[in-house]
Amino acid sequence: MKKMKMKSWLIYGAILLLVFMLGRPQLEILLNRTSIIDHKDYAIDFIDDSGYRITMDHPAERIISLYSAHTENLFSLGLDREIIGVGTSDIYPYDALKKEIFDYRSDPEKVIAAGPDLVLIRPFIERNSPDFVKSLRRAGINVISLYPDTFEEFDDYIIKLAQATGKEISGKKKLDDFYQTIDRLTLESSHIEESVGVYFESSDREYKTITEHSMASQAIKAAGGVNVASDAVAIEEGSSIAIYGIEKIVEKSDIIDVFITQRGVMGAGGNLHSISIRPGFSAIKAVQNGRVYEINQKIISSPTFRFIKGIKALQRAFYPEHFCKITIDEDEVITRRLLSEIMINYNQDMIFVPTRSYYAQDDRDHYYGNLVDVTLEDEDFDSIETALQMAYFNVEWIDDEEFFYPDKPVTREEFARILYLINDLKNETYDYSDKDQTDNETIVSTILANHLMMTQDNLFSPHASISGRDIIRGLDL
Amino acid sequence: MKKRMMMLLLAVMMLSLIGCNKADANKKALLVVSFGTSYEDTRTKTIDAVENVFKEEFSSYDVKRAFTSQTIIDILADRDGLEVNNVTEAMEALKKEGYGTVLIQSLHVMNGAEYDDMVAVVSEFEDDFADLKIGKALLTSVEDYDQVVEGLASNFQDMDNTSAVVFMGHGTHHEANAVYATLEYKFHSMGHEHVYVGTVEGFPTFDNVLEKLKKDGINKVTLMPFMIVAGDHAENDMAGDEADSWKVMLKSEGFEVETKLIGLGENQAVRDLFINHAIQAIEGETH
Repeated sequence: MKKMKMKSWLIYGAILLLVFMLGRPQLEILLNRTSIIDHKDYAIDFIDDSGYRITMDHPAERIISLYSAHTENLFSLGLDREIIGVGTSDIYPYDALKKEIFDYRSDPEKVIAAGPDLVLIRPFIERNSPDFVKSLRRAGINVISLYPDTFEEFDDYIIKLAQATGKEISGKKKLDDFYQTIDRLTLESSHIEESVGVYFESSDREYKTITEHSMASQAIKAAGGVNVASDAVAIEEGSSIAIYGIEKIVEKSDIIDVFITQRGVMGAGGNLHSISIRPGFSAIKAVQNGRVYEINQKIISSPTFRFIKGIKALQRAFYPEHFCKITIDEDEVITRRLLSEIMINYNQDMIFVPTRSYYAQDDRDHYYGNLVDVTLEDEDFDSIETALQMAYFNVEWIDDEEFFYPDKPVTREEFARILYLINDLKNETYDYSDKDQTDNETIVSTILANHLMMTQDNLFSPHASISGRDIIRGLDL
Repeated sequence: MKKRMMMLLLAVMMLSLIGCNKADANKKALLVVSFGTSYEDTRTKTIDAVENVFKEEFSSYDVKRAFTSQTIIDILADRDGLEVNNVTEAMEALKKEGYGTVLIQSLHVMNGAEYDDMVAVVSEFEDDFADLKIGKALLTSVEDYDQVVEGLASNFQDMDNTSAVVFMGHGTHHEANAVYATLEYKFHSMGHEHVYVGTVEGFPTFDNVLEKLKKDGINKVTLMPFMIVAGDHAENDMAGDEADSWKVMLKSEGFEVETKLIGLGENQAVRDLFINHAIQAIEGETH
């Protein structure tokens, strides 16, 4: 009897030990989440997306953000000084590049030594670097893990981020503006009578697309497109990714008017060329009509306010006849700002969004987001940055600051150079009188010989401003 | 007990025999190692085509493939269901399949970092094969340069005094980067004065090339990749439409620009040179 009892105790003990060992992470979360004993009122009190109860007496003042979307949103909420560190892939806004970099795959001591009062992560980091996160918590640092899996959770995510950083008013205003803009864009798109069929490739690995609850799916709707893969089933419950397969894509060849491929993350989609050469893809309507567009993941699938840019980019791709329309008066003075917009619409370019490798190149004439006189708030920011990326304009550096001069009229020689870039012309000579006034005689001669611009009294007048008339002629509008 | 011990001993002996696949010196394999590409069209024209030439020339060898880029291997597996081995996997497979004579031929432009890495991996298998040899990369001996220059000459016949061909190489931190400047020197010494060589990530730089084009009064430039495969670098860094592509940078300066997206693997002289290097390796010739 005694022997039996002893054996039973041993078995129970072993089971209990096993339960504690295997269930320790869950138990830790449970204890943290319930905080049964803690009845104190906190200024900030919520459950984060890893299931931890977050309690803070006052908003954070020394923040390290280890996820690019958090970093971007913190800046959007008006924080800057409070952000003392960012993650390895955080490049937006430009000011994020000036912050110290921290890596969740390395020693947590570096983070602890920086003395943050808040470290922002996402559940992915919690899952992949659990020891790193545990070390931070053990050091008494508030760690908040957030990530909205669906578009519907974006509000809640921003509000929690704003609460933790004392930017609730700013957060609510940003959200109001965000949804108002989406409503306005949706209304604009709804006026278009014939909707385009869209296939969205989130990754070319296993031909993945998006689910109905994803941000990209919402963007397609707001931009007036119809997702032809709306029957796609999520790879796991709650995921925004679905495997669609090559056969199903090819089956829908006739109704895919526009093919969108997502770029900018590891394993993300292909490009026009690589998509065109896939077996069976030549049957796809979008491929046949050259309507394959690349879109950067950051503006279409990342939970940030830049999502608005993604919707606008899709509108332009879906309905260029409406959203890339150029209206111009013959006598209108053409500024650099205006010509940027005209050129982007003329070429139907997707807006430029940089990646980290873009900033890795240290000899660029211009860096995205660095212009003193064209800030992120400028309504023409995207067209100007895209025009600069296409080499249509130059910038001026004064004392380590970069200027675009958006409201300066465009000179005739500047426009001649743009025309030369967008056309494949054979170099020709043209005998005009003020050759000595031009910076590049070959370009001006070729443009004049091709009648894309005209002289007056045989003078090109390179420094004079262009008017709407020059644009209409040069671009054959 | 004794019987049990005997059984155990027998089992151990049997086990020791399993996996011990005796290498057969008459069973020959030729492993063609390249960086790889995820573009099927250019792969067909370059890597596949070179491998086919090897199959014809070395009919007594089984021709196998390995890529050095794990990223490309992963893309092909996930996207196209195409299995390609990396060098280690390929060597393991050859060992397992019982090959005794193995010839490795690199499709690299130079004996640089990628080549060194490949040699390091292959060396670990030295004791597993009766005969293991490695063929050199494209530009190794002076004669190799001659053959490449002659092979590429068809691209710049009938050029007038104001036209030029600019080859865009990759460039490397490795000392083998010197091949690019040597190659340009060879072009010039063999009478092709207006052929220039620049690199994306090494020396000579784009600016070095631009300076020469201006100095030599060039008006029209034909851009071509000096890479086995005309892949991402050729499409974007060379012929792309953005400010930092060589095409746009040259056009901004008033050069008439034509781009030719033709990988070196499409050139017969280049293929022949790889064949020669494989033969030299078999014959034990070193440069």
